Parts: sequence; C-alpha cells; structure tokens
Amino acid sequence: MSHQPRALRAINAGQSVADHATRLEGLEKATGAARFGRDQIKKDMLWVRLIRCPWGRASLDSLDRDAALATPGVVEVVVSGDAGEYHGDSIGYLVARNRRGLERGLQALDAKWTRLDCKTGILDDQEARAPIGDPSKEAAKAIDAADFSFEASYSTPVQTHSSLETHGLMIEPDGENSIVHASTQGTFVVADQIGRFLGKRRSKIVINCEHVGGGFGSKFQIGKEGAAGGLAAKTSGEAVYSFCDREEEHLDTGNRPSLLCKVRLGHDADGTIRGARFETFGGTGVSRRGGGARVPSGRFEFGTLDARNHRDVQFNAGGPRAMRAPGCPQGAFVEELLIDEIAHRCGLDPLDLRRRLDDSERRHQMYDVAADLIGWENRSDTGSQSGTMRTGYGIGTCDWGKGRAPAKIEVVVHPDGHLEVRTGTQDIGTGQRTAMGALVAARIGVPLANISVAIGNSRLPAGPASGGSVCTPSTAPAAMAAADLARERILSGVAEREKLDATQLTIDDGVIMEGGRKVVRWEDACRRLSEPVSVTGEFDGRASAYWGEGSSEGVQAARVEVDCETGQVFVRDVIAIQSCGLPLVRKTAESQIMGGVIQGTSYALFEEQVLDPGTGAVLNANLESYKILGSEDCPRIVPVLWRDDQTGVRALGEPPVIPTAAAIANAVFNAIGRPVRDLPLRPDRVLAALAEPMAERVVAVAPRTTDRETRA
Amino acid sequence: MNPFAYTSPKTTTDASALAGPNGDFALPVLKSGGMDLLDRMKEGLEQPDLIIDLTRIEDPALDTLDAGRIGGRVTLAMVAESEALRKSAPILGAASGSAATPQVRNVATVAGNLLQETRCWYWRMSQFDCLRKNGDDCPAREGDHRFHVIFQNGPCLMVHPSNLAPALFVLDGEVEVVGGDRTRIPIRDLYPDPAVDWRSASVLSPTEIITGVRFKSAPNSAFIALKQKQSFDWPMVSGYAVLELDGDVITSARTCAGAVAPRPHPLPQVDDALAGVSIDDEVRIRAACARSVDGADPLPGTAYKTTLLPVAIRRAVAAATNPAGVDRGGDA
Repeated sequence: MSHQPRALRAINAGQSVADHATRLEGLEKATGAARFGRDQIKKDMLWVRLIRCPWGRASLDSLDRDAALATPGVVEVVVSGDAGEYHGDSIGYLVARNRRGLERGLQALDAKWTRLDCKTGILDDQEARAPIGDPSKEAAKAIDAADFSFEASYSTPVQTHSSLETHGLMIEPDGENSIVHASTQGTFVVADQIGRFLGKRRSKIVINCEHVGGGFGSKFQIGKEGAAGGLAAKTSGEAVYSFCDREEEHLDTGNRPSLLCKVRLGHDADGTIRGARFETFGGTGVSRRGGGARVPSGRFEFGTLDARNHRDVQFNAGGPRAMRAPGCPQGAFVEELLIDEIAHRCGLDPLDLRRRLDDSERRHQMYDVAADLIGWENRSDTGSQSGTMRTGYGIGTCDWGKGRAPAKIEVVVHPDGHLEVRTGTQDIGTGQRTAMGALVAARIGVPLANISVAIGNSRLPAGPASGGSVCTPSTAPAAMAAADLARERILSGVAEREKLDATQLTIDDGVIMEGGRKVVRWEDACRRLSEPVSVTGEFDGRASAYWGEGSSEGVQAARVEVDCETGQVFVRDVIAIQSCGLPLVRKTAESQIMGGVIQGTSYALFEEQVLDPGTGAVLNANLESYKILGSEDCPRIVPVLWRDDQTGVRALGEPPVIPTAAAIANAVFNAIGRPVRDLPLRPDRVLAALAEPMAERVVAVAPRTTDRETRA
Repeated sequence: MNPFAYTSPKTTTDASALAGPNGDFALPVLKSGGMDLLDRMKEGLEQPDLIIDLTRIEDPALDTLDAGRIGGRVTLAMVAESEALRKSAPILGAASGSAATPQVRNVATVAGNLLQETRCWYWRMSQFDCLRKNGDDCPAREGDHRFHVIFQNGPCLMVHPSNLAPALFVLDGEVEVVGGDRTRIPIRDLYPDPAVDWRSASVLSPTEIITGVRFKSAPNSAFIALKQKQSFDWPMVSGYAVLELDGDVITSARTCAGAVAPRPHPLPQVDDALAGVSIDDEVRIRAACARSVDGADPLPGTAYKTTLLPVAIRRAVAAATNPAGVDRGGDA
C-alpha cells in the first residue's frame, strides 16, 4: 500500500515576510555569470599546489627539487616537512606560472615515500572496542531499579566536506592593499588569518566573497591552501591562485567526524527510562578534538544520566571541521533509534513514547501534523510485515539555540528611489542576500525590484560569519532597524512638505499613503533628496526591540521502502516541519529545509569516507565512489514552515539536517523489525540485520488491528 | 596530465595504422567518447604520447544501429532510446540506460563501454601497485574490497565494469574489428581468461578497433542492476537473461552475471536448470537462479553479493518473460 502525503506547498503560504521573492542572484548563478573566488582566474598569476602525503602515514625519502625547479613554469618549491600523518597531509607547496607547470612540476618532484604503520578508525582504540563501562553509582541505581535493562552500540561514519566550490582563495595586489577573493563563510574572520601569511595588517586587506559555493562549516579558516597562497603572494608580490581540486577537497578540508556510541539504560514496561549511561568516542583523525556528539540531546527524558563520557580517538586521517549542526545528526541517529527500540520492546507506538519523553509543547503539535502528513495511520507494527518490499515510517526531532552576534546593515536611499542594502557578511548559498533585500523591501513597503544588495566584502558593514545558524537571526534586527530609519527619513520629508503627520503615513507597494489616500509615489518622494541618504541599523548581538520571540524546533517523518531481498532502502517521503521564528523568504527557507533533508538522506544511506585498512589511503576521495544522493535517490520532500505567532527571526540553516537520518533509520527499523545501528544504511548492512532474529519485545502486547502484510 | 600529440584520422584504416607504436610515438591511444581515457590520464595511470581521435572518421557504419547490429561509435544514450532495439533486444537498451549519468551516456560509446577499465579503487589510484599494474600483490585482498569479486577466476579481484558486455554474452554477440587479421570476435572471447592474463582489458591488439557489435534478436531479454544508489552508480551486482519461450515454458535460457568476476560471468548451470520450466513455476525458477552462486568464493567483504546475485538473476528472468515491463533498475 502506498500512501502519498498531500501536496502541501500551500501550507507555507503567508508564513514568510516575502512569500514570492525569488533568489536575487538566481539568474546570475544559473547562467554562470556569478563570479566565485574559484572563477578569479587571471592571465598573469601564480598557481599554488600543496605537496601531499599519499598514504595514511609515511616518511619522505626523497624528492627532486632541482628537477621540479627546472620544469618550465615552476617558480618556487617550498618543502617544510618530511613526514605525513594522513593521506592529504602536506609537506610544502609548489608555485608555478600556470596549471601545466604545477602538474608537471609535481611530477618532476617525484616525491618518494616510505609507508609506515597507521591507524584507520575508532575501533583501532582498545577502549572503544571494549564493552561499555560501569555506570556511575546514581545512574546504576536508577538502571537497576527499572523493569528492564537494555544495551546497544551505534556508529556513524566520517562524512567528508565537499563544497561545490572547493576551498581556496585568489590574492590580487592592489597598490599597498591585497584583495583576497576568498571562498569563505567568514568575511570578517579570514582577514586576520591571511594577513599573517601576507605580512599585512587587516586594514590593508580586502576580503571579497560576493558569491560562495557552499561551506557548511568548513570555510571559517583559510586552510593550508590559503596559507600557502598567502606565503606565495608575499614572496612574489604577484597575484596568486590557490584552490583545492576535488580530491584535495575530500582529503583535507574537514569532515563530520565518525562516532561510536555505547549505551546502557534501564526502562520500565511503560517505556519510562529510569537511567542511562552513554559512552561516546569521536573519530577525529589527526586532530585532538572536535569529535563530540550531542547525545543525549536534552530533548527527551532519560532519568538519571551518566553521559559525560566522551573521548576523541586519533588515527591517521584528516581531522574534522564543523559540519552543519556539528555532533547533532550523529547524536540524533543514536538517540532516536534508541527511543524507537525501547518503544518496540514495550509494544508502544514510538510517537506516543516521544510524546511522553519530550516536553516541548511545540514539538507535540508538530508530532500530530507530521503523523497526519506522512500517513502514520498506515504504519504497521515494527517487524509485522513479510514479503519483499516492506514499508516503514519513522520520526526524528531537532532543536536549536538562539545564538546571535553583532551585525550592521547599511541602507542607502538614492534620489531615484533605488535602495541599496549593504552588508559585508557572506551568502554561502543560503539566501542571505535575498533575505536581507526582501526584509528591507517589505519593511519599508517598496517592491523588491527597487532593491539591490551589496554583500560579501570586508569594505561593507560588518556582520557575523555563517556559523551556528546565527547569520540571518543577527542581521535581521539590523536590517529592520536600518529599514525603519530609511523609511522614517523619507516619510518625515514628505510629512514636512505636505504638512502631514508622519506617524499617519504608510507605504504600500511603493506608494506613500495617508489613510486610504495616495500622497506620493516612493520614487517621487525620493527625488527630493539632493544626494543619497545613508542609514545604518545595528544589532549589538544581545538585545534589540527587533529580536522578538521565536525558537527553532523541528520534527521530521520519513516513509521508506526496504527491498528485503537486496537490502536496498528507498526513501519515498520526508515531511520536514521546522520552526525558525519568523521566516523571511518562503522559497529560500523551504530550500534550506529541503537541503537539510537531502543532505541527511545522503548521510543516512550513502556517505562514508573509506580508508584502506592497511595503508590509510582514502579510497574514495572523489564524487564517484564517495557516494552522494542523486536525483533518483531523492525522496519527495514536504517542507513545512511552522510559524505560530513568532515574531523574531531564528536559526534555520542547521536544524533541518539533524532529524533526517534518524527518521530514516527508524523507518527502516519499523519496516524490517531489526535495528540497523550503523550508518550508512547500506544494503549489506540491511541484509545482515535481516539475517538476525527479530528485535526483542519484553512487554507482551495484543497485535494492533492495522497490522498487515505487504506484497512485493 | 602529460603533453601529447593529437590526430583525427578520417578512416579506421588510417587510425589503425597509427595505433601501434610508430615513428615518434611509443604510446599511442585510441579515443572515442574519451570518458574513461580522460579519467585514466588525469590519474596518471596512462600517459599516451599520441591521441588518435576516432570521432572524425567518416564511416556511417560506426554510427548506425539496427535490430541486429550497433556501430561502435553509437552512444549509450542512442542505444537506450532505440525503438528497434526495444523490440529486438530490450536488454541492450536497459543495460545502456542504466549506466552512469545522462551526460556520460550522451558521450560514451558502445565500443568504449566494452573496453573500459575496471573501477577497482586500488587500480584507479596511482599510489597503489597491484597485479594489474606493476605490483606482485592485490591490495584489495586484505583491503576494502566491498565492490569486488565473488568468483575468484584469477589472482586479480577486480570486477568487470561494462554493463553492455554481459548483455552481449547472453545475446551470443560478436564484435566487428578492423586493423588485425580477423574481422569478427565472439564477445565471449573478447576478454582474456583472468587466470592467464589479468592485466589486459581485452584480447585486442593495439591496432585493432571495434567498429560494431552484432547480436541475435531476443525479444524476451532483460537486465537488472542492483545498485546502492539509483543515480550514477555502478551495480553491486547485475543480472542478465535471455529466454526462449514456448507458451509459458522456457525452452532455453541464457543468463549472465555482472560485477561479480573479472569478466562477465555466464551461468550455464542456471541456464540448464531453467530449461523446461514454466514461467509461473516460482519454486523451480527460484531454485534454478539460486544456482547462480554455484562455485562462488566470496571475499569477506563481498559475501553480501552472494545474496544479491540469485535475486538479480531471478528478477532478470521474470522481467524477460514480460519485456514490455522491463525493469530498468532505476535508470538515472
């Protein structure tokens, strides 16, 4: 039986400030006119490429510097190390006049390496392999007092960053300044970093990142490629281009670290969890930190907890960087699957158990809507189906904080009525540019066509980096303040000339009105200006009349089909309900949610970095064998913007990626009656799970009347 | 990528004449769609000094297809879309349409598909030595070999990457060649015995060029790919079946497995077991297809493929009984 969720685009109508705004730079991007940092290729510039270790761990035996320097086009060979600690680790760099020189120079360099023993994963660690440790005294007491105890172990893989625009920068001398075309998610963060290598003060550096092709947390730093580019620019005084290729992007620009989580808990027959011990191990490659996971998340009641048992495990692989909701999707996968397993043991509907363990009122309402939209009433009891194709339904949840940072937005009103919104903060593809333009237009009351947005340049007013999903929440109050200032400025002029009360004037679609009477067109009012008027709105990062109320919470429901002969999982539908306070632009907000679901589905089913167990070489540093979701694998996604009466702009970037893999894993469990506790949910793993006995039930329940068998 | 010379001859004879070591060129290479060649060159696996581009050859026979023959330069997209083939041998369109992506299929050719190199990730990475390169060992054996063989026909554990070759196996196909002393090679002889030669992608000499493939008509034929991803993925396992039916009874069957051995893996034991079986006799068909893993010797990481293969063959057989409803395995 196939249940189609209703088409619900209409549900989001009227929920945002600008329902019909389309991405301002959409045409530029679609036609290729938009210039990203990676597009800044000039005829006369130097190219930089790092010299990288080809193995998980190796020492450098020799390289032929002279041969490299003798290669046409090569201008510099800098070698600063003689050992690599992971595949992609760098020991220096090469500078050449052109790409061909780079490639041939690297070949001529002919680096010879001796492979050394290496570690390739969390399970190389003895403690990680050992059974879970004893719970704390208090937790043990609670666990022992419960009706049943339960123990399980979960794992998630390394998910590598692979931005559409790879990491890097292009540096151009401009008098005594340097213009740095950076692919960054922190316009105002990277100037100091690159300055150290250029040997220049921040005031002499202009960061330009008008268009950025993704970041997801990996572009707060200039990276080794940026550092090498900076050094080469300093040495040469010339323009320098240093960008990763796709392989380097996979090897050395960070990742979502792997996780191993061991759990022991005690629960009662009614599903109440009395106490639990969580042990987590983060796989951080050569980094000493960054492997933490948010589990338990705090969204559910686990009784007496012993959960501060985390350790990062080092091995020979590139280290993590923040990736969209760091630590959260992996934590949610563990926690939500765990809850579904407990629900099954107790013969409960996992949605009912969540309603009991979760005290967020908003999510309780979301549970109801998600269940309705996904067709939860068609869900069979876990493990009750036979036949080849089995359908499963699963739920996942998320929440997010209310982080904020200082931001300024300048609005310039030109005498022709045109408005220029100026913000130095970057748009990494999220729609920041469109959101700011649409917000200012709506707030003033003029069509979006009157607006242009200058964005992504350190000469523009400062704003936050794109991290923690604070960018839009922090810039929105500043934009509202600036819009109000600009509006008041024009209206007070009109009021004075027309002898009207400025507080009685409104602006509707570019027309200034008093009551129902048209006073003057916006353009005509602006024509009275002798010169452009600039106003700046500022948010101090703490309090503002424009901050308002709101929170970011979400519930996602997935419907999957599992082919039980092949172990293939097909995700058919995902309902993604998300609150983010006041949504600014419906389309880009929906896109954020859909993007989260796509990334989460890809994480659930496909993505994993594969290291050769013997040598530590990354076997899939490309987009062929590092599998990401494609169009045929994409579920039907129904994004639901949950507004309530929230007035403040809140986080939306990260939270929608959190629940997806969890919801899918739960749906698979529901379909096949056995949990698959390791991501990704590969066919071999699903087949292995199917060969196991059905998940245990500790509380007898009468079968529900809705039980049914499905046929292939 | 190394510097190379480029030439685009107008005839296959000229192309063939240039393709062996000649004059200034020690490592000439033939290029048609160039999909796999470009990958190999970028990775440094191949460093040709002369590229002989076959796309300018003026010979319509290279670009035409009919119910029993496909020119070597015909693209996978054209095969996938051909009405004539849909009637005469639907297995070919299904196998072509399932390969790679629409962009690749618009460029990749039939001959190139047959002669492409393995996707083994150890072979594809230049830092690894292996039996197919200069090494004495197969790094996949102790390494991560999840996409490798279940039939160890030789020391190399690669699986053959072509979607089309096994289809031609079950269609008793032949390749037409020029540039040597033969003009036809049965497809089953195109690939070397992996126990004897595990390095060559085919038995062709450097000067031989595939100009087309011929095959018998097989309206009851089908292809099933079991892929992890439905967009742009190589099959974990694929199944191919050609049936001859007398009413509801299978009078003869030809089946073959893909992605399980260093070359397409025919399954004569399955063919024998299917003969005389009614297409409605699920029990006997299941039993026959279960024999597809007779002789399998999976690696620790490929054991799951022994579960998949009988399923792929059974589904291909089922689809072949009803070619109108051919399951294309989630074509991208």
